[in-house]
Amino acid sequence: MTAVGRARARTVAAPVAVVSLLALAAAAAAGQLLLGRGLPVAEVLPALLRDGADPLGERILWELRLPRAAVALLAGACLGVSGLLLQVALRNPLASPELTGVGGGAVLGVVLGLRTGLVSAQAHTSVLAALCGGVGGGALLWLLSGRRRSDPVWLTVNGVIVGVALSGATSVLLVLSQAEAAGALRWLTGSLTGLTAAHAALVLPWAAVGIGAAWLLSPVLAVLQGGDDHARSVGLEPKSARSAVLLCAVLLAAAAVSVVGMAGFVGLIAPLLASALVGRDPRLLVPVAALIGAVALSGADALAQGVTLLVPEGPQAQRLGLPAGSVTSIAGAILLIAAVRRRGLLNTGT
Amino acid sequence: MTPDPAGSRPGARPPAAPLPPAGPASAVAGEPAGAGQVEEPHPPAGPSAPAVRGPAGPRTAPGPRGADTPGRAGRGLRGAASFGAGAALLAAVCLAALCLGEPVLSPAGLVSAIGRPDSLEALVVGEVRLPRMLLGLAAGVALGCAGLLLQEALRNPLAVPELLGVSAGAAGVTAAITVFGLPVAAGLVPAFALAGAVGGGALCLAVARRAGDAASVLLTGAAVSTALTGSVYAITSMADRFELGLVFRYLMGSLVGAGWEELAMVAPWLLGAAPLLVLCLPLLGVLGLGDDAASALGLDPARARLAVLATAAVLVAVTVAACGPVSWVGFLAPVLARRLHPHAEPRTRLLWSGLLGGLVTVGADLAARTALHPIELPLGAFTGSVGIVGGLLLLRAAGAKAVPR
Repeated sequence: MTAVGRARARTVAAPVAVVSLLALAAAAAAGQLLLGRGLPVAEVLPALLRDGADPLGERILWELRLPRAAVALLAGACLGVSGLLLQVALRNPLASPELTGVGGGAVLGVVLGLRTGLVSAQAHTSVLAALCGGVGGGALLWLLSGRRRSDPVWLTVNGVIVGVALSGATSVLLVLSQAEAAGALRWLTGSLTGLTAAHAALVLPWAAVGIGAAWLLSPVLAVLQGGDDHARSVGLEPKSARSAVLLCAVLLAAAAVSVVGMAGFVGLIAPLLASALVGRDPRLLVPVAALIGAVALSGADALAQGVTLLVPEGPQAQRLGLPAGSVTSIAGAILLIAAVRRRGLLNTGT
Repeated sequence: MTPDPAGSRPGARPPAAPLPPAGPASAVAGEPAGAGQVEEPHPPAGPSAPAVRGPAGPRTAPGPRGADTPGRAGRGLRGAASFGAGAALLAAVCLAALCLGEPVLSPAGLVSAIGRPDSLEALVVGEVRLPRMLLGLAAGVALGCAGLLLQEALRNPLAVPELLGVSAGAAGVTAAITVFGLPVAAGLVPAFALAGAVGGGALCLAVARRAGDAASVLLTGAAVSTALTGSVYAITSMADRFELGLVFRYLMGSLVGAGWEELAMVAPWLLGAAPLLVLCLPLLGVLGLGDDAASALGLDPARARLAVLATAAVLVAVTVAACGPVSWVGFLAPVLARRLHPHAEPRTRLLWSGLLGGLVTVGADLAARTALHPIELPLGAFTGSVGIVGGLLLLRAAGAKAVPR
């Protein structure tokens, strides 16, 4: 009892966490709306009023920046919840879409689908292709990691490598299909460049269904957190429960990947921060991980846009701008190292 | 470089770490429990044999080998024969790299083309295919050797340039020089790449300093590499015009457009590194015995490891400066070499790693540029996928064999 009490004391009250995260998400999205090329900060507010004085500015704001912010929030939330589900189901605090082959497989699935013409961009079929790819990527890691796959660190190292192998295959396909640069960058590192309202409309239903399902699964997650024996003793078949949770996780990752590509480490950091904030109760963890993921991706994109503005441009430059995936992978790597050095983190899950 | 972490971290710990190298000669401390014993089936003979011949031996007989004298001559002969076969295969692939492409030449046509220096064929072979093949060969051999040095020195099969921040560090610096047009003489680019490689590797090892076991070190390395890779994407995306070829070149390696200039850039560096490589051999043999045995033989394991790592860093950096980190060749080649000759001494493994590295790189480049002719596939993406999946399967098989023990 005392241990539980102490654990509670370290975490933040749930309403406080949720409200402050909502505020952060709003701030990050505002940053995305304000920063960027083609529309200086001072002209954003007039364009937001849609008074017709600056038609080009209004188009930039309403047709490019708003959908971009919406997609960032939704995809970030998907990645955060996906990582949480993977961490609970695999009982591995270092599991996340990009470290389990799921993210790389999903990207490969989409690119393969686009290349073969079976799916078209911004269509729901691309999410399905990503889903198949994600399952395949996870299976590949499962096959290759061998007997030591229960060791979280070993599995993670293998996951990184399998991710590299999958992105190699993706690169081959990108070259084969003569992909244009912006799209290629999205599939290679995760980028929010060139998103439109169609992308937002694509990801919204999947995000809603997936996160809703994850929240409904939270009693199952709570049982799985206790281990297989515990699950059996309360009458839950751990294998099928785990499969359902994993499928939901891959679905969420696929939804995010099919619009923004694999923005690294969002799915790793969000659940870790969430459990540090609100403890182990899945009913709270799911929404909080979603919010942190949304803040992370949206904030990363705002930062990327800001940095792009700061670096001077050549006279005839057609620069793409910093991809959000770069920011998340650099920031995430620093946090991952911090997590590895805090040995306690690795011991809690195993 | 910080000598202590570079040296002692992964290697000094294994005896205390939960990992298994009970056998002092386990070459793969990071391997699944028991795999080390299989990879290196000499432990009973290992410690005593070199301890006896150690002082006289390091240069001439650098390996923990020799308990079974009767079979030795025969094995040496067979080893030479199989190495000869490998070299012949490499020569065949190199010849194919010169002949195939557009236009296709027969070996006889190749000879006659050389006779007519003004012909189109001679131009294609002399200015395009030959330097490209030679650069691929040099890069593959260098990376194969560097991979072996890293794996043996850190005693972990996953200790590869790609996971230690070495490749990505060199690639980041080279990409920044190219993209931002920094005023650096072409001959000095490898030096800057070396600084990047050493910086990336030192960052990894410094950060990994307090991480306990070998796997945590690798995880830290993977994180640092991912961050550095993210920086390469960031740098290339800041170019005035984003070019996918640039990304492929610096992240995965590519021989597109490789010519005599690139070759001239790397040749002096590689020639300089070759004697270092030879000097590393005895160190590898002793380091393979484990740190305790190495200290008992009068070798400072931390310093020896640092020397080996520095040599590997030079090899990787020079390659990256010329054609990018030809992905995961440094992983596949040594693992394959160890699979082919699990009991061999370091010298044999080094030769085989170099040979297989060259074979894989030249062969993959040949496939990448001819398989779907008008489109050239990125070489590194090719070797990366094949190398990782193949290497992990090989490691997995080695681990599975160890189960019964």
